[in-house]
Amino acid sequence: MTSTLIPPPARTTPRRVVKEPLTRRQRLSRFDLKASPYLYIAPFFVLFALTGLFPLVYTLVVSLHDWQLLQGQGDFVGLANFTEVLQDRYFWNSIGNTLSIFVLSSVPQLIVALVLAAVLDQNLRAKSFWRMSVLLPYVVSPVAVALIFSSVFGEQSGLVNNLLGVVGIEPIEWKNDTLASHVAIATMVNWRWTGYNALILLAAMQAVPRDLHEAAAIDGAGAARRFFSVTLPGIRPTFVFVMITATIGGLQIFAEPRLFDVSTAGGIGGSERQFQTSVLYLWEMAFFRQDFGKAAAIAWLLFLLIVGIGLINFLLSQRIASAEKAVGSRRERRRSKGARR
Amino acid sequence: MSLHRAIRGGVAAGAAGLALTLVATGCSSGGAAQDGDELTLSVTTFGTFGYEELYEEYEAANPGITISATNIDTGGNARTDTFTKLAAGGGLADVVAIEEGWLGSIMEVSDQFVDLRDHGIEERAADWVDWKYEQATDPDGRVIGYGTDIGPEGLCYNGPLFEAAGLPTDREAVAELFGGEDASWERYFELGRQYQETTGEAWYDHSGFVWNAMVNQLPEGYYSADGELIVEDNTELRERFDQLAAGTLDGLSAAEAAWDWNGGQSFVDGSFATFVCPGWMLGTITGKLEAGGGDATTGWDFANVFPGGAANWGGAFLSVPVTSEHQEEAAKLASWLTEPEQQVKQSAAAGNFPSTLDAQEQLAADATPNPVFNDAPTGAILAERAEGVQAQFKGPKDSLIQENVFGPPLKALDRGETDADAAWSQAVQLLGELVD
Repeated sequence: MTSTLIPPPARTTPRRVVKEPLTRRQRLSRFDLKASPYLYIAPFFVLFALTGLFPLVYTLVVSLHDWQLLQGQGDFVGLANFTEVLQDRYFWNSIGNTLSIFVLSSVPQLIVALVLAAVLDQNLRAKSFWRMSVLLPYVVSPVAVALIFSSVFGEQSGLVNNLLGVVGIEPIEWKNDTLASHVAIATMVNWRWTGYNALILLAAMQAVPRDLHEAAAIDGAGAARRFFSVTLPGIRPTFVFVMITATIGGLQIFAEPRLFDVSTAGGIGGSERQFQTSVLYLWEMAFFRQDFGKAAAIAWLLFLLIVGIGLINFLLSQRIASAEKAVGSRRERRRSKGARR
Repeated sequence: MSLHRAIRGGVAAGAAGLALTLVATGCSSGGAAQDGDELTLSVTTFGTFGYEELYEEYEAANPGITISATNIDTGGNARTDTFTKLAAGGGLADVVAIEEGWLGSIMEVSDQFVDLRDHGIEERAADWVDWKYEQATDPDGRVIGYGTDIGPEGLCYNGPLFEAAGLPTDREAVAELFGGEDASWERYFELGRQYQETTGEAWYDHSGFVWNAMVNQLPEGYYSADGELIVEDNTELRERFDQLAAGTLDGLSAAEAAWDWNGGQSFVDGSFATFVCPGWMLGTITGKLEAGGGDATTGWDFANVFPGGAANWGGAFLSVPVTSEHQEEAAKLASWLTEPEQQVKQSAAAGNFPSTLDAQEQLAADATPNPVFNDAPTGAILAERAEGVQAQFKGPKDSLIQENVFGPPLKALDRGETDADAAWSQAVQLLGELVD
């Protein structure tokens, strides 16, 4: 091994490399080796370029113009659409509503999904039946969900208010009160997505090694302790994934608020825009107010907002990942110590 | 050969799957095989149009023509559908139904539709009530729509509720009560206050529909006849707004959610006693009554009277977009569908009111009783209600102003959270923010 410390003798004559021309087959196989992987993944990127990138860029072009829905392209206006939207109080109202509904839906949704997954992870009879059951709401289209729930949350004789009446609580104005309407819409979202998330978390839980659980149990850890100290750390990466998809979905809610109140045909989400989300505001701008340029600007602002929150999520997951690494390397050290012993 | 075709078909299908725009062009170019007389015409309608049997009749009378029909559930969704396709530059059917409420927007791009004078609509001009024909004429004189139905408004009222409040129930006596030919909104609100004091119940379902009727009836509504936005300067509009606000604040409005009416139950449980009824609304009420558990015995009736005189709400046109590859055939079909004879059949199937004079006369002569509305001869009454209707100029933002500018303050009035002045200033502020 010491030989590497001695510098090699300087070459005085360059070594002659005889470059024989490659045969066609060789060239083909080299090409195959280098290019094929790109070809295999190309379909996704071609599709993405067509259905993702092109609309994204086109939307940017639209947002920089005075653009009416029916009349089409007008003058180039630079960032005027963006500044106007940013000064529009209804834009900020819609952002507030979106975030409020997002928090009201994501937080309970993930907690319940976690509990549900933990329950499904136990030794139940008719496992598949229970697992299928929690996925059932996901199969129903959001439009049907919205129609059913708007009836359930009806103000005069909806199911919820009737039940509240039984225990002597005054009827709640689900479609007029801002917070109540957010709760109602969050309920629809939760109903649809909790089971779906629970199944993903369940899959992750089943990948947590059983012997860890057993070892913890032998050491005297109770069920709750095992859940928090073994299961939760074990499913962290999946949990972060579920959080990110919930964020993206939660910030794009449209069908639920659009259909929650049929009497506001103009897409303002409640008589005073109590539950107009950003995508619904975008819809109103594009298809009711017919200002395509501003609608495109809203779309881009929403995109930036989602990227921003996505970045926060990413940093969060980095921290969790590094925490895991620390735990992992500690374990490693311990293991190597044991080996030495 | 067949293999070659299959591959080409596959490629075409794949490409169509990739981009929506290709679907549009792919359909219109590949939909109809031009060889011989084989031809497929696509038609898009909305709500209850009652055309199904007429399509069959046309297909039978015109061998080689197949009609591919799409019916969109509501006029609002049809509006979105049509606008989106116009914006995308393709995908519209050969014959498209357009609603009066958003005709103003369509008129801004009337060159996207075929001038039907090239297809002989001028010869039929006398068929329609004159304002219907004028509505479909753009500023350059191009005519872009065959009128289907119109929405003359009469007054729906609930007999048993009237009786309980000591008001007459016979439909002619009710017409007299409201003032007959001289029926005014003043009288309407006066009777409402009387009714409210006696029973403690509301007079109309919510302010929005009453406001719609009050605005539609004016010679000039949100726009002047030459297309200027005049909401703030229109004194008549303001007077009517105050009149309505005063009534609503006196408890005359049941503050219902339109198009839902508590799942139809509010039509059954006596929440309100009167309802503004354009012809097509009779069908809506029939449906809502059923949904709410009511029927003919609930006692709704239809009187030949309307506060403030003749009024129209809604109605539709059939247009042919320039993107259609079979403009001649499409125009022929649309023209046939709107002929008086077919309009009578449409009215029988869908319950709406025709826009051609001959069809209206026919309905008036038939005077078929409507079993849901206490056997009122609704067709004959509507024919009388159609007399004297003035077409109001509908600007491009008319439906936006109706829904998103006046909707919120009227709802606030319904809920008693504001007063007339504050509500009006809210509307003016919204107008400044939403309409430029």
